Amino acid sequence: MAIAKAERLMNLALCLLGTGRPLTKRELRSSIEAYLEAGSEDSFNRMFERDKDDLRELGLVIETVENFEGEVGYHARRDRNRLPDVSLDAEEAAALQLAAKVWQQARLAGAASGALQKLRAAGMPDSEVGAGSYDALEPRIPAREAAFEPLMLACRDRRPVVFAYRKSNSAKAERRQVEPWILECWRGHWYLAGWDRDRRAERVFRLSRITGPVRSRVGEYTAEVPDQVRVRETAERWAGEGATTESALIQLRQGCGYPLRARATRMRELGDGWEELEIPYGHGLDAWLAEFGPDVVVLEPAELRADIIDRLRAVAKG
Amino acid sequence: MATNAIDQTRRMLSLVTYLRERPGARVEDVARAFGVTPDELISDLNVLPMCGTSFRGGDLLDIDTDGEHIWWHNSEAVTGGEPLRIAADEATALLVAARAVATLPGLRESDRLALLRATAKLETAAGDSAAASARLAVTFESEGGVFADLDRAIAERRRVWLRYYSPSRDELTEREVDPIRLFVLGHTYVEAWCRLSEARRTFRLDRVAEIALLDKPADPPSIEPRDLSAGLVQPSEDDPEVVVEVGPGGRWVAEYYPHDSAEERPDGGLRIVLRSPDPASLRRLALRLGRDGRIIEPVELAHAATDAARAALAAYEEDAVH
Repeated sequence: MAIAKAERLMNLALCLLGTGRPLTKRELRSSIEAYLEAGSEDSFNRMFERDKDDLRELGLVIETVENFEGEVGYHARRDRNRLPDVSLDAEEAAALQLAAKVWQQARLAGAASGALQKLRAAGMPDSEVGAGSYDALEPRIPAREAAFEPLMLACRDRRPVVFAYRKSNSAKAERRQVEPWILECWRGHWYLAGWDRDRRAERVFRLSRITGPVRSRVGEYTAEVPDQVRVRETAERWAGEGATTESALIQLRQGCGYPLRARATRMRELGDGWEELEIPYGHGLDAWLAEFGPDVVVLEPAELRADIIDRLRAVAKG
Repeated sequence: MATNAIDQTRRMLSLVTYLRERPGARVEDVARAFGVTPDELISDLNVLPMCGTSFRGGDLLDIDTDGEHIWWHNSEAVTGGEPLRIAADEATALLVAARAVATLPGLRESDRLALLRATAKLETAAGDSAAASARLAVTFESEGGVFADLDRAIAERRRVWLRYYSPSRDELTEREVDPIRLFVLGHTYVEAWCRLSEARRTFRLDRVAEIALLDKPADPPSIEPRDLSAGLVQPSEDDPEVVVEVGPGGRWVAEYYPHDSAEERPDGGLRIVLRSPDPASLRRLALRLGRDGRIIEPVELAHAATDAARAALAAYEEDAVH
């Protein structure tokens, strides 16, 4: 039976951490059963390279040293791999425990519990799961978009990517070459900000509109990564919620349109079961007002009024 | 929790450190501390005796368990097992989540402070590994006052009165509910037992127009919390079918509404089949779509939208000012 990968990785980690001097591949192969059984030199080499990468993903710092005979040796120095002292009290431990539970994405959920386990092993106090004041609170971060994980890694490693992207109102996807900067989750949806190489400008992408795989490209970033990236402002503008100084004047049937009323800056009774409201006028207000059908009449501005009439006519045609 | 080789290796490395300090540790306690089931822990403990610095020299971990306690017989002889540094992904996962939770407006001040202290310590301990965590950000949003009231009601097990806005009906209703839990999935929600409908209901906090804590004890029946892993809206197979045809400008419908199918149309649009427990509530969608799409089925819904649009137009055509 093949030896399980976890067992092999664990053995490699213990060998590299336990040794006082760099170990050559030959030595490692003779110490680890799974490597002895690996078959050809080639398949052992491939396995060893992959395992080393996996351990590095887990945080291990593995150094490569050449000895006098020109042979390469590997070791994970303890002073470079030790967690610095960190003392957390029970309250702080409970807070981190809640935070670790929020990821609904497998890789990040695994990484977050891994961090907790390391802290726990380093002496973080055990706190009863579910005890304390976080009982009733269950924040969740979803990440169902297939593009999430490859883009997260690309942002982390600063690797340019290529993907097909379909803008909200177009049927066809277009190829986009992007230097990814950051991913941000707003209202449960993920957005990517980065440098669009073809448009030579900063762009924000909604992950759910990426169709097909995200492919990495070799090479450096060509544009400088800014200190501050504003993803949220762009997403808010798309959602029609950006800051605006303009306003619209509408009539609203009494008892209807609570959210319109909640954001009204001015309101007066007209009698007859109607009210007049002044509300902020931003992107997307036309579509939203149309939803209220016969319970809203737009007075100003004229362009908004014309827009609504246009929308209503399209629906009235049936 | 699904165990893959990476997660299991990560856990076993920490286990070795943990067990070194705790001879005779109880399986149950260790499993809880590591967030796994006792069975998962036992399978780790079955792997560990195969691990060590040399299988030929016999330097393997002599760890065994009787199913209740865990013993490590040669912990002095085997080196390794110091607490390990935190990896970049681990730091990112925990720091991003902690920063996001700290922004919840309804969080109690003492909890927020504990979280901020923990975050700062974690940043220091993670060192270089913490740098990449700035490339991922999450904003939770919730209505601070409503959140705090609900959080208090849950802690004190009290019933609350809500004035709640339902966008599908465009109306405010009043009801008494027994809150069960708060959760955040894009927006912030409270799951509660509604005393008006005598059923489980989910309320979005930004749609709560008014809230009051009542001096009545909450008495929700004991129910399993909803499973949210598949998302919040999970239409039932019994719900009536709605067919919507949209042009290119209405393709967003497929992004926002869970649907059974979305078929490409020659004009670059889509034919979307979805289910709704209350198709009448989709009149809003038809009106919003305008020229970008229309409801095909059910016919009554299509007519309701047309009628509403005609009634609305009448007000403009009369040029009436009410």
